[in-house]
Amino acid sequence: MNLTDYLLENVEDDRVAIITTQGRYTYGELKEATATLASNLVLNGVQPGDRVGLLGENSLYWVASYLAILQIGAIAVPFATATTVEDIRAKQNFVRCKLFCVDRRSHRRFLGAFEGDLPLIFDDVLKSDATLQRPANPFDGDPDADVALMFTSGTTGKPRAVRVTAGNIRANTDSIIEYLNLDREQRILVVLPFYYCFGASLLHTHLRVGGSLVFCNTFAYPETALDMIEREECTGIAGVPSTYQTLLRNSSLPRRGLKTLRKVQQAGGKLQVVFIKELMAALPEAQIYVMYGQTEATARLSYLPPHLLETKLGSIGQGIPGVRLSVINENGDPVTPGEVGEIMAWGKNISPGYLEEPDANAEKFCSGCLRTGDLATVDEDNFIYVVDRKDDFIKCLGHRVSSQEIESNVLQLPDVVSAAAIGVPDDVQGEAILVFATLRNKATTTQEDVIAHCRLNLARHMVPKQVVFIDALPMNAHGKVVKAKLKEMAAQKI
Amino acid sequence: MSIEDQIKDYIAKNLLFSDSGFPYDDNVSFLDEGIVDSVGVMELVSFVEDDFRVHVDDLDITPENFDSVNKIAAYIRRKNNLTA
Repeated sequence: MNLTDYLLENVEDDRVAIITTQGRYTYGELKEATATLASNLVLNGVQPGDRVGLLGENSLYWVASYLAILQIGAIAVPFATATTVEDIRAKQNFVRCKLFCVDRRSHRRFLGAFEGDLPLIFDDVLKSDATLQRPANPFDGDPDADVALMFTSGTTGKPRAVRVTAGNIRANTDSIIEYLNLDREQRILVVLPFYYCFGASLLHTHLRVGGSLVFCNTFAYPETALDMIEREECTGIAGVPSTYQTLLRNSSLPRRGLKTLRKVQQAGGKLQVVFIKELMAALPEAQIYVMYGQTEATARLSYLPPHLLETKLGSIGQGIPGVRLSVINENGDPVTPGEVGEIMAWGKNISPGYLEEPDANAEKFCSGCLRTGDLATVDEDNFIYVVDRKDDFIKCLGHRVSSQEIESNVLQLPDVVSAAAIGVPDDVQGEAILVFATLRNKATTTQEDVIAHCRLNLARHMVPKQVVFIDALPMNAHGKVVKAKLKEMAAQKI
Repeated sequence: MSIEDQIKDYIAKNLLFSDSGFPYDDNVSFLDEGIVDSVGVMELVSFVEDDFRVHVDDLDITPENFDSVNKIAAYIRRKNNLTA
């Protein structure tokens, strides 16, 4: 069975699969669109194992293209749309896709990215009446074969792609469905792009259970997302920290009373405790799932059961079904409560490695184990608490300071929407703490207020030396703050 | 400078980081062209509040009011008339 057959195994043709602002599409229509795209790929000479680029916003076309690529045994390479022509070129030079499926809008936006005679399949094919022959030999599917290359942020500025196999996706999908207890009645609002592994996991899981997905590509205007939840009676939503920070501080979510929302999923970085509490207050009837994952693990690694959210506040929980997580100290032993170590992960969802990076693979993937690079501690029940990224620790006055702890404190101020702490070289302190923060509209908080608040609540070596308000924190395409960029800004301006 | 020109000038400098002005039509959708994300929209809202002294309610932050130069200009004029 190929991965597309697995994903669509339990669907009913007359049930709604996808809702967009353009229309509603049943599973029958999705299958038809997938067959059309598969025929087009085959007619364009795409063979099993070929890489096919996929560029566009979440749409019926994107999903059908993705399923078609998997169905014929090719490798899907989703490209971010929150990017530049140069970035797409650099990635394409690295992965060398044989063909691109691209929607007209993205093609117009990124025109210069498509050079030479690279074949392109546009979304127009779904409007054409021409009947194409379905590929005669759908691919059988080898669980160990790569089915996708997912781009992730590397450390060197070079493109980095994670290899994902059919077996990886099946393992992670089955596990997520189990712990979220998903069924065909689920209707999720999707604001995350499918080129991001968290977004892709929403697609995989909801197709597999035969549920439905509502695409909101206008989250830049958060009220449109809330309107869609109301109108389509969505039962679920999934977001990264900035999604919830925006909804809680810059939208009408807290006063909307969205009664249909039952499953609220959060991953993609630490949502500070203050926001988790606000989210619980805003959606008292919803189950809030705090989760943790990495692209290198297909998507997800841990979750905190909602009934433990209050007693284990701030924890990422424990390994999801089929995943073993252990926090290991420098001696290679599991940490004791309070001690900090690195999170290691084992499971069938762990990628075989990065594309063409033997050194990084040797460092990151060791005999079936993934070294996450995230530092954490555990409590007496072995629940895991992420302390920081290994690279984000600040060394101030001889102490190793968690940037996330400072950020968490600054975010307690109601005017602050987002905050990022970095270390900058300092003759006296080793590294001085610099906090970049963004404020909500009509804020009155000053830099001095932030420092005073930290003085009240944090040890001396954790108090920022300087606070800078900026309009926006630099984010990558996945909505994560790019601290390297902040360090550059600090070096240039301060 | 007209309201439209002030908006274009702001977007060019703060969202496009361009020295050569706003290269689109006044009716072009910011979302379609990838000019804004959620952070960009919030920046636009702050700009409208600060520079035009308009109070923007969360419920007003919609594509109908903010997704093109002309839509923002119309929104500002509407709000100013209402509050005048």
